[in-house]
Amino acid sequence: MKSTINRILAIARREVYRMSSRKLYFLAVLVFPVLSMLFFASVMKEGLPTRLPIAVVDLDQTVTSRKFVRNIDATQSSSVVMQLNSENEAMSELRKTNIYGFVMFPRNMQADIMAGRQPVVSFYYQNAFIITGGLIQNDITKMLHTLAAGVNIQKREAMGIPSQTMMANVQPIKMDTHLLFNPTTSYPAYVTSIMLPIMLQIFIVMITVYSIGIEIKERTSHEWLKMADKSMVVAIAGKLLPYTIIFLILMTFQNFILYRVLMVPLNVNMGWMILASGIFVLAYQAIGVFFIGLLPMMRHALNLTAFYTILALSLVGFSFPAEAMLPPFRAWAVLFPARHYMHIFQTQMLAGFEVWYTAWSYLFLILFILLPITILGRLKSALIYQDFIEDIHKNEVLTKYHAET
Amino acid sequence: MKTYILNLSGKIKEAVANTFRVCMREYQLIFTDLGVVVLLLVVPVVYPALYSFIYYPEVVHDLPVSVVDLSHSPASRDYIRSLNATPEVKIEHYCLSMEEAIVRFKKGQSNGIVVIPENFSNNIATGQQAVISVYADMKFFLHYKAIMMGSAFVTLQKGSDIQIERLMAGGLSAHQADIQANPILLNGNAMANSAGGFASYGIPAALMLIIQQTLVLSIGILAGTARERHAGGLLVPPDRRRIGTLRLVVGKSAAYFTIYLILSVYMLAFIPRIFGYPQMAGASELSALLIPYLLSAIFMGMTLSVLFKNRESPMLLYLFASFPLLFLSGIIWPLSNMGPLWLAVREIFPSSNAMYGFIKMNTLGAGISETRSEIMALWVQSGIYFLMACLVYWKQVKIADFRFQIVMPCKQS
Repeated sequence: MKSTINRILAIARREVYRMSSRKLYFLAVLVFPVLSMLFFASVMKEGLPTRLPIAVVDLDQTVTSRKFVRNIDATQSSSVVMQLNSENEAMSELRKTNIYGFVMFPRNMQADIMAGRQPVVSFYYQNAFIITGGLIQNDITKMLHTLAAGVNIQKREAMGIPSQTMMANVQPIKMDTHLLFNPTTSYPAYVTSIMLPIMLQIFIVMITVYSIGIEIKERTSHEWLKMADKSMVVAIAGKLLPYTIIFLILMTFQNFILYRVLMVPLNVNMGWMILASGIFVLAYQAIGVFFIGLLPMMRHALNLTAFYTILALSLVGFSFPAEAMLPPFRAWAVLFPARHYMHIFQTQMLAGFEVWYTAWSYLFLILFILLPITILGRLKSALIYQDFIEDIHKNEVLTKYHAET
Repeated sequence: MKTYILNLSGKIKEAVANTFRVCMREYQLIFTDLGVVVLLLVVPVVYPALYSFIYYPEVVHDLPVSVVDLSHSPASRDYIRSLNATPEVKIEHYCLSMEEAIVRFKKGQSNGIVVIPENFSNNIATGQQAVISVYADMKFFLHYKAIMMGSAFVTLQKGSDIQIERLMAGGLSAHQADIQANPILLNGNAMANSAGGFASYGIPAALMLIIQQTLVLSIGILAGTARERHAGGLLVPPDRRRIGTLRLVVGKSAAYFTIYLILSVYMLAFIPRIFGYPQMAGASELSALLIPYLLSAIFMGMTLSVLFKNRESPMLLYLFASFPLLFLSGIIWPLSNMGPLWLAVREIFPSSNAMYGFIKMNTLGAGISETRSEIMALWVQSGIYFLMACLVYWKQVKIADFRFQIVMPCKQS
């Protein structure tokens, strides 16, 4: 037992030495992960976007239309930045993305309202950008309905209908909206907390694949295996130990940014957060080992890693919910630890639900950690026979061989 | 004079021939490297199709929502029926209490709760305002949007019906009642992507990003491989034929440019047609944007390749940038809500202006003059990165020459 631990530590020491010999490691495990964390922590300003630029085409030019313009300008999400003279002009501004939408009041609107001719107020918004489009649509539609209700009230008052029951008459049913759990969290901080682990998984899998693959590529795997006394478990444990520690520190830094700087509420015991972070790192390291075992030629393993880690952004189902995807993709989504981590974050950390609502997610994460068992034999033979060398190095070895003989 | 012209045309011929040779050599390098072939050909072909299938349903529909009906009246049942009939929402369960609904929400069986209070039908009957409570969560933006749109639509609709009914009971004709209830008609139009589809929104932008990312990665991988192969870790072989920097840069980039021109037709014309994505831009608009984009991305790739000492470096050191670049494009988060530092960083990468410009042209239907600022930015980037690529290669050529002289001084003359 003691000698096993000593072996693991010796291999870990060797790995630290190898890491310090190349700038690549320093950049890939420290500089770029930290930079991307700082990026996502700072790129979106506080809160949902407000005062998005929109325009007004006021062909009516009356007291009523000017009052409407002021009211639209006062909505939270938008601000009227230009008054244009025609629909064409407004369309062009919309295409140039100088504005995200515009409202058009028709000629004779005020007169038509008075005469009961139901004038049509048109509202255009661009949906090429889903978040801004959704916000403006929601806000402006609500405001226009309010304005129409205001006219309704005015006309009723003119008819002499008593005003106590006015709102009930104009709006017989009212909708109260409540946010279930954590209404105080700012939306950008929330997006950041989903993005950071998705960012980190790229680095974890990449560096795991690289640190093992380079032993095969540079034919140093014999030395590594010898130090482990031919035990794959010892060899891998020793090699990955330094990275596990580094990534745990990075996860801690990430959690610090989320819960202390961005003030995302943590509604669960800190222990759960640390546990989830820990198995997140281990699950992705396990996937890295699995990939290089599956494809021991490094360039193919790295291509596979790129494919898998980039897809994570879509298949965790954050931007487009996994539940709405076609069944094969819903199933595929399960194969991403980031998805289970996201579920734990959303339901346990953020909403404070009891742990059993996330039990499946923990179970899946632990299953990922066991994944390398399936390919340990294959990886070991690759380390011994080194028969997955890139072609160019084969040539190099051949020319060396010819030169020597 | 005549000899001078002959001389010059001979020189030009030689330059063209050399450039052509560099270009051919680059093709050979690209297509004999399986890792690069996968990246260059398989990724641009497979990813767009794959993403299209992932986002195939486009919108969230029939979102499971539980309802707590405390009113148990014809009016409340009518409301629930209408809610169930909206495309956005599906009633998954009738709960007896809020507690039961919350448990279902926690278990993930429902994504929101609609509560109809005890006094609902009573209030309507007595002319008081009835209040519906909608509990949604922001866990997924599209879930939130679906439940909000569905319930707001039904609430407005039912409210208007009740109002007209009452006005008619008060003696107005159906037409008069309608005028009173709806003094202004509202006409909301979505410009571009009117269905609010997620694929139509995200995939065109992603396609543009894939172009730059695969270009930079492939150029970087080939550069890293070259450096592993060449003595002294140089980008150019020390015993190369005497080919000038300009010919080297132009020849190499010509190889990538031609390959990507073909790939772009597939990605930007073929894929949108198959999957029915917005396709407002014509060939002239697309080429006006695409040509400076390809050039700037290629030259940026060649410039960055000086940083990649090994074959693996680009994957480890550049791939991750894809996610930040997606955010910097301005497609996800509006540029008006981004800090000055990141807006400056945004201008470093051609993908930002290309993605934004592409959405403007292809989704919103902007013309070339309306996309002028993006196109200009891409040309400026092309120019700057071209000069930087030349500088990088010029330096490598100089070092190679220097080494070559030291090793074999006699062969030089």
